[in-house]
Amino acid sequence: MKRRKFLYGIGSASALLAGSKLSGQNIIPEDLNDCGCYPNTPLFAEQTGPRVRPTPWQAGDFDYVLSKVRITDLKTIPVSVTPTSDRPYVFVKLETNVGVVGWGEATLEGKAGSAQAAVHDLKDSIVGSDPLQVTHHWQSMWVHAFFRPGPILGSAIAGIDHALWDLRGKLLGLPVYKLLGGPTDPEGVRGYYHARAGNREQLIELRESAEKLGVTAFKTGLASPTYEWIDTHAKIDQAIKQLQMTREILGPDIDIACDFHARTSPAVASIIIKEIEPLNLLFVEELCPPENAKAMAKIAKRSTTPIATGERLIAHFGFRELIEQGIVDIIQPDCAHTGGITGVWAAGALAAASGVSVAPHNCTGPIGGLAAIHTDAAMPNFVVQEVCSGVEPGINEKVWEEWLGFPAQRMVNGKYPLFPDKPGLGFDVDENALKKYPFAGTVPMGRVFAEDGSVCAW
Amino acid sequence: MKKSNTLISPELNVGDNVFAYSETEISEIVKQRRSRLKTASTGTSQAKAVGDYDIKDVKGWTLREPVSKRAYTVIKIQTGSGLIGFGECAPLSPAEFEEAKRIIIGTPVTSFEVMAPKLMHVPTARAALNIAMLDVSGKIANAPIFQYLGGPTRAKARAFAPLTGNNDQELISSMHRLKALGFLAFGVPVPDTLWRNQGQAFVLATRKRLDALRAAGGEGIDFVLNGDNSLTPGDAQMICEAIENFHVFFFDEPCIPVSIGAIKKLSDENVTPIGLGKKITEERQILDLIRDDAVDIIRPSIGLNGISQIKRMAVVAETYYIAVGPENNGGPIGTAACLHLAASIPNFFILNIPYSEAEEDRRMRSEIVMEPVETIKEGYVALLTNPGLGINVNEKNLDKYMEVSL
Repeated sequence: MKRRKFLYGIGSASALLAGSKLSGQNIIPEDLNDCGCYPNTPLFAEQTGPRVRPTPWQAGDFDYVLSKVRITDLKTIPVSVTPTSDRPYVFVKLETNVGVVGWGEATLEGKAGSAQAAVHDLKDSIVGSDPLQVTHHWQSMWVHAFFRPGPILGSAIAGIDHALWDLRGKLLGLPVYKLLGGPTDPEGVRGYYHARAGNREQLIELRESAEKLGVTAFKTGLASPTYEWIDTHAKIDQAIKQLQMTREILGPDIDIACDFHARTSPAVASIIIKEIEPLNLLFVEELCPPENAKAMAKIAKRSTTPIATGERLIAHFGFRELIEQGIVDIIQPDCAHTGGITGVWAAGALAAASGVSVAPHNCTGPIGGLAAIHTDAAMPNFVVQEVCSGVEPGINEKVWEEWLGFPAQRMVNGKYPLFPDKPGLGFDVDENALKKYPFAGTVPMGRVFAEDGSVCAW
Repeated sequence: MKKSNTLISPELNVGDNVFAYSETEISEIVKQRRSRLKTASTGTSQAKAVGDYDIKDVKGWTLREPVSKRAYTVIKIQTGSGLIGFGECAPLSPAEFEEAKRIIIGTPVTSFEVMAPKLMHVPTARAALNIAMLDVSGKIANAPIFQYLGGPTRAKARAFAPLTGNNDQELISSMHRLKALGFLAFGVPVPDTLWRNQGQAFVLATRKRLDALRAAGGEGIDFVLNGDNSLTPGDAQMICEAIENFHVFFFDEPCIPVSIGAIKKLSDENVTPIGLGKKITEERQILDLIRDDAVDIIRPSIGLNGISQIKRMAVVAETYYIAVGPENNGGPIGTAACLHLAASIPNFFILNIPYSEAEEDRRMRSEIVMEPVETIKEGYVALLTNPGLGINVNEKNLDKYMEVSL
């Protein structure tokens, strides 16, 4: 009970907050003795003075270097575009004492409820703070988590981080990409659509659309929805022929990437990438699950095709081993999962030092994608930005336009435009339009099985 | 362009050559694609560079302090709208200055990150331009640089100053003077080396010097031992071991950087923290140092790297839990830039202030920058809170102390 009181900033700890310009900032609890490592245990307290020490905000250390803007509330707004969507968007809204609001997105596929709850777990460390101090808040959310963030907390931090950057831009009067030191190309950010073309007719149509729209790259996938640990000649052959046909019909002047989506084991992935080497693909993605760098390395050294991975890795820390060992050519952090703009930028900077490129993943809602586009525009090692959509806008994108008032994440001449005159992330959200798509609950991601009933990845 | 559907071969087998284009056709296609991309890049996109924020002019002064003879280049950029920003770097040659100027004119001032690769061949100029571009960007946003970049990550920055003197007694006097100014950490030179390889007397003299300083300085003070790249790996090795339990902050540039292997041996066999990297000019140059466990605190120079590049190095260091201590051996603008850097990154530990004991040098520094940027209190320097770098540079005094006009 005591702990509960503390978490909400009342109880014995409130004395420290009284009269402070900031409320809700984390403090070291006086009455918590569950852990001998806590900073209030005698070992530490005797050496460092008072048993309960104020944070630097409470002590006033930061007073002279902060703005007058304070975050007054954090809200989450989950929405389901369709009742069966496995990725209801978890939007984050930060309100301030000056009336400016910031928006972010903490969507996590199949884990809407967990992501939303994780955002609220961070509320206490954000409400009451100065939104301009984003790096410090990011560090605090990351380090003070103690358990280093995985995808759920990474997405929650991302949602808050986007909203902080949005606020920063609006308060400083500049688009986020300019705060980050961009743009590389004032005309916009190169992108690719998903090919979504399985047969010749569809591919011919895709080629024609590409010429019409000026799209220069597509991503496709493997021909079968699942693969086993070792697989049959028929399925492997089908995957190779499908990719050959894709190159044949799209031609050499359109870049093609192929997402293995970690459906394959190193054994199966290796055979496929060996045979598609002559197609000179832009990259092959997630050849096996991401947590085992050595397994990824085994596949990577068997082909010259650039290797991409990273949509499930969190912040720069998550990419360190793959980059260090020279396994990966292109990293794909997801701006809605990997700790937001701060996380993608840091992963990109880490990659840049080793000559590794960045092609961010993006398969959530419109805000995560727009946050990624701003970050892309400020990374010299950026290659191409994903949007989880085809050449024709889908139902999602029509809904996004209803919310944001413009076709978020539609390319113009093969690039996502930047809006130099719009501060922050560059949009306003119509909250009434969001209400038309009420949260329909967490829907788990699809489950797929092999012919013998065993579990497969997709 | 050739119609796509004429390219389809009806039968396709694994291993077939799928490129139906001949060599000449490919080049034609590539040509067309390039022209299409070119159209796209000059097309009807809504984005247009804001001319007011583009860099219109660059000017430079190379200055030299009268007593210390320390030299540095100050550059000034001006935007189309007349906004002014200052940067500083190690002394620039006129040729490097002209080349950097040629590249940077017409660039939006906010593109301080993405311009870095284009200035790779003029790294020193890049450092000063980065600082100046951030200075203007901050002024546009009406925010100090650390706030523009997402800080402050701390409320003040720890600093140390080098001790001056030819023997232990002079160093102790120097420490007392600096301590009275507010410094609590000091850079200590290793004793003069008489021979290429020293013996036990040298190792003991080094330890004795540190012990004497700590005894004279009292509690709450710390030291950086500066090897100044002058020792052999063998000497550095013995000193590392002899001072393990003295707990210096770090041993800076312990030996001649003959190879990473030699430096790595120091940290393999001793726990004295090692500082390295004052001469590096690219992010990749810290990779081997870090990955081979050769370094505990990276020391990239502000005057060779600027703020953004050290910020990117800090990301690399952070993933290995390694600290950043920017080397600051130029003028007061460099110190200002270091302070903004310190408050923009999470893993900053300390910066050095090239405090000069000579009155003439100090007067010059205070005449260049009107604010007291190098004022220290209880071991820390306060952040600068005005927009951009937060300083007012006096151009007349730049002219007064100028050695070379750029």
